[in-house]
Amino acid sequence: MVMNLSRLFARLPAWLLLLAVSALMLFPIVVAFLGSFKSNLELTTGATFFPESWQFRNYVQAWTQADFASFTFNSVFVAVFVTVGTLLVSAMAAYAVDRVPFKGKKLFIFMQSFTLFISIGAVVLRPQFDLMVNIGLQKSLWGVIIILISAHATAFFMVIGFFRGIPKDLDEAALIDGCNFYSIFWRIILPLLRPALAVVALFTFRGAWNEYILPLVFSMSRPDMQTLPVGLASLRYGAGAAVENQLMLAGACISILPLLIVYLFANRSFMQVTVGSVKG
Amino acid sequence: MHKNRLGAYLFSFPSFFLTAALGIYPIVWALRYMFYDYQGYGEPRLIGFGNFARLARDAEFWQSVANTFVYAGGKLVITLPLSLILAVILNRKLKGRHLFRAVVFLPTIFSASVMSIVFYLIFNSYNGILNQYLLELQLVSVPVDWLGASKAMLTIVIIAVWGAVGNYMLLFIAGLQSIPEEVYEAASLDGVNPAQRLWYITIPMLGPVLQMIVMLAITTSLKGYESIMVLTEGGPFGKTEVMYLYLYKLFFPLTTTGTSVQNIGYGSAVGFTTAVIVGLVTWLYFWMSRKLNNLY
Repeated sequence: MVMNLSRLFARLPAWLLLLAVSALMLFPIVVAFLGSFKSNLELTTGATFFPESWQFRNYVQAWTQADFASFTFNSVFVAVFVTVGTLLVSAMAAYAVDRVPFKGKKLFIFMQSFTLFISIGAVVLRPQFDLMVNIGLQKSLWGVIIILISAHATAFFMVIGFFRGIPKDLDEAALIDGCNFYSIFWRIILPLLRPALAVVALFTFRGAWNEYILPLVFSMSRPDMQTLPVGLASLRYGAGAAVENQLMLAGACISILPLLIVYLFANRSFMQVTVGSVKG
Repeated sequence: MHKNRLGAYLFSFPSFFLTAALGIYPIVWALRYMFYDYQGYGEPRLIGFGNFARLARDAEFWQSVANTFVYAGGKLVITLPLSLILAVILNRKLKGRHLFRAVVFLPTIFSASVMSIVFYLIFNSYNGILNQYLLELQLVSVPVDWLGASKAMLTIVIIAVWGAVGNYMLLFIAGLQSIPEEVYEAASLDGVNPAQRLWYITIPMLGPVLQMIVMLAITTSLKGYESIMVLTEGGPFGKTEVMYLYLYKLFFPLTTTGTSVQNIGYGSAVGFTTAVIVGLVTWLYFWMSRKLNNLY
């Protein structure tokens, strides 16, 4: 008993720190959630924690009047296609690089890591945009999608990492059994990679869903192309009309909810991604 | 082994093509235009190092570089020790450690720009949620100007720390798990206290992992500008202007200023210089931290 008590005291600072940090981490999210049900007046002057009366119509208003239906559709559209595209492009490239000796392989890997480490910031957006103008894709979200898929170096290195876990003997055996380069990929490699690809998909989806600058630049003259982060941030500097804070919070909740739900069920996978992406 | 070279080229082509066209070409494009006078219309004019001469005298740019170091420094000084301590605590067989890890990591999954909107409503100087609470609890008598000239950078740093701690905590935990248990057992026989254990055993044993994590933290914090863009757009009075945000403004207009100062030639020179600055800092850090790598 005495032993336990002294251990408890020894651990008390650690527990206090954990509780304090956890409270701070959750505070903005809880504030956003509860605030999204308050009226604008209560939100700006109320100093309340729980809403006085739950204004569910904030969500209706955000969805219909503030165009969050369209933002959400655009976000889903972009995130889904970027995820599928990124997985396909990086898995195919990783397969070739990991399994076949070919000329230019070193250069290819160097190129991938180069784009990972060199960042000249917003400069690249201009030539990227111009390229999309050339092929007529600047007026649709496909331009955004293609550019986001092009930034697949991290996903590529993650997939390559997973390839090491698939023995090359499998390929050999399949070759003898009459498979070729292509059918080995579709029938053997991809099914085996599925759990790994799910992790990469999570990582990619999160990135595309949260992307702000690129869709912002593309939707500057086309508000109908705004995604959730862009549409939401544009409310911050709302043109003319009185800024309605409760709509901003409802919108913020709409845009964080899908990730939050996935996180509740798969937070271990999220964490695995973070560690994996650094270990390479 | 596979002999199918054609297949390999076919399979790596999409990746190669996209990376070359949208990853490499834009850099080459910038390397060319940084020697030109080009505002985005009309004929580009070759001016040699004119843009760099202008850059050397551009006080606003160098101020943004200084701000970047304040921002990155502040973020790192809080984030790294805090996340290391949390990692050490949550690496033990503590009840509920998985829940705590999940909670601390939660902020990192959200979009910086979306959370910046939430933080704007929390830190807003006039009727922000935080000020309402502080006034209600009578902790302050007048609203704190969180986004004003004197505190904006502090607020920005707090928000950046909020979004980053979970990430580095997790990386540290991964690193800690590679330290053999016996080392700690030996130390506890020698009667080492927790602080000594952290300083003399954990940190040195983390060695190369620590070096990697700190490097990642440095480059990430030097490059961050999304949340600043949403929250303050670099204001007030350029107090929170960081170099990558300054760069952005040379290519695209912001909402509050409205007018565009677009200057492609000059912007390319700024972009090149910014990348060089990040590269130099990274290299300098590697040079200074080379001891970390030798410890194992």
